[in-house]
Amino acid sequence: MSKYLDKSIEELHKLLKSKKIKPIDLVEEAFDRIEKNKDLNCFITLNKEEALKKAKELENLEVDNLFFGIPIAIKDNICTEGLRTTCASKILENFVPIYNATVIDKINEKHMIIVGKTNMDEFAMGSCSKTSYFKAPHNPWNFDKITGGSSGGSAACVSGRLVPLALGSDTGGSIRQPSSHCGIVGMKPTYGRVSRYGLVAFASSMDQIGPMTRNVLENAELLNILCGKDPKDLTSTDKKEEDFTRFIGENIKGMKIAVPNYFVSDIVSSEVRDKFNEIVKLLKDKGCSVDYIDIDYIENAVTLYQILAMGEASGNLARFDGVKYGYSYENPKDLEELYTKTRQIGFGDEVKRRIMVGSYILSGENANVYYDKAMGVRDDIKKSFEKAFKKYDFIIGPTTTTEAYDINEEFNDPSKSFLDDILVIPVNMAGLPGLSLPMGFTNNHLPVGLHIIGNFFEEAKMYKLASFIEKELKLNLDPRGGKDE
Amino acid sequence: MDKLSREEVLHVAHLARINLEEDEIEKFRVQLKKLMDDIDKIKDVKDYDEEMLISPVDHNAPLREDSEGKMLEYKTVMKNVPHSTGNFVEVPVMLNE
Repeated sequence: MSKYLDKSIEELHKLLKSKKIKPIDLVEEAFDRIEKNKDLNCFITLNKEEALKKAKELENLEVDNLFFGIPIAIKDNICTEGLRTTCASKILENFVPIYNATVIDKINEKHMIIVGKTNMDEFAMGSCSKTSYFKAPHNPWNFDKITGGSSGGSAACVSGRLVPLALGSDTGGSIRQPSSHCGIVGMKPTYGRVSRYGLVAFASSMDQIGPMTRNVLENAELLNILCGKDPKDLTSTDKKEEDFTRFIGENIKGMKIAVPNYFVSDIVSSEVRDKFNEIVKLLKDKGCSVDYIDIDYIENAVTLYQILAMGEASGNLARFDGVKYGYSYENPKDLEELYTKTRQIGFGDEVKRRIMVGSYILSGENANVYYDKAMGVRDDIKKSFEKAFKKYDFIIGPTTTTEAYDINEEFNDPSKSFLDDILVIPVNMAGLPGLSLPMGFTNNHLPVGLHIIGNFFEEAKMYKLASFIEKELKLNLDPRGGKDE
Repeated sequence: MDKLSREEVLHVAHLARINLEEDEIEKFRVQLKKLMDDIDKIKDVKDYDEEMLISPVDHNAPLREDSEGKMLEYKTVMKNVPHSTGNFVEVPVMLNE
């Protein structure tokens, strides 16, 4: 079997351009790898027939851009016209969207080839992808470990080298946290950078789509084609088009970096902290200044997230009522029973808990007690970050507090799925961009990520720092250890 | 108190329009209480500015030009409807009296 998919996107582009390979070679190889690794359970739906058909059609077109003919996987909460989109939920088990998300239109314009829809936590609610109705994906570094979540399938299929690129979504760390556990690069862009049109809404004021890739350069290249103003999403911004790769390769000497004390407190395992401290030493050695600072209200971020995300989710998920699409309870005695039994049978426990508490938060006087106050403190967190970015270029910390835990470990604590994201949630509160970059391995040879937070719309600068560190560390991030799959 | 009352669980389930069986009521009595304890921590936050952050973006959100866009076909929209008659979505009786 050929190993084209181990090559970089730029190498593949050259091979395609010079007609040494065809898109179908890549698509067939991707499906071969997916088939051989089906136990990883990365995908909910494969798009094999359509992908092969499209690859053949592309043979008649000129290779006109870097991503022409490159396979990509899409998280299953991003609408793909004619291709089942389940959000990993029973309630959407048979839902086939009638339109594309804007990011899918952009991917199609570049003639990329969608190989399938990736596994995830149900409605992106979770941090281990175990709330999926279709069972959890597995971590390519260790089959018995979680992938993280909610974009666990996207992280695992890129990490396992089944596809070179994937899209994820991040509401409270769902791109960065699984990227950390699976040893890949995941970027949550600034809120508004990428259109959310066609992303099934969870918490609209935080949701953001972003690229998940094997390395920093390809991440920046993929973000290049995803972003831009979209008239269908009024929260998308009309920033001038820019090349996110433009600073890659530049020196980082003289950059000012801050580490919030909270990110290196005892909430982080000593092993992860040690890895992080090695990065701090590296940065100092390379001429950066690193200061330890306090960000006001950062320790309240999880509470705010719980209130705001559950509140927003309860409204967003009200649309799943068994009337217009999705699972519908048969022979209800009245409309009320249609709603209540459809949702009882259609949703899993994590989703039920969140929308019940979310409905409570928004009901009557509670809206003032919880929701309004949380929005007030959220504004303060944003201002605290803004204050820090007046002085510093970046804020960094570990992405996760620990390595990936055992997939069979059961937690009876409903707060667990929130606490797993304790280091990444503050970014979603402020709307800032955040990137997870592999920074090393634990003693169990599981990857852990470095979390780089940039100022608003400074993704290009973040890629500069990330690529510098990536180059210095030279980690072998192929879980197959260089062997054929 | 480490649990909500049965009535409190049924109240939030009603707000969320989720039917619960007996065993689920018992399970959620414990789990929802834990989450409600979590959100109660907001009450301990002092000295915050009352200005609210409603959306992280601070750009204007101008309205689109009021012009005709691409329309979806009835047939297409109805494809995912579980119960329909012609171009109509079928629902059960609303008042069961």
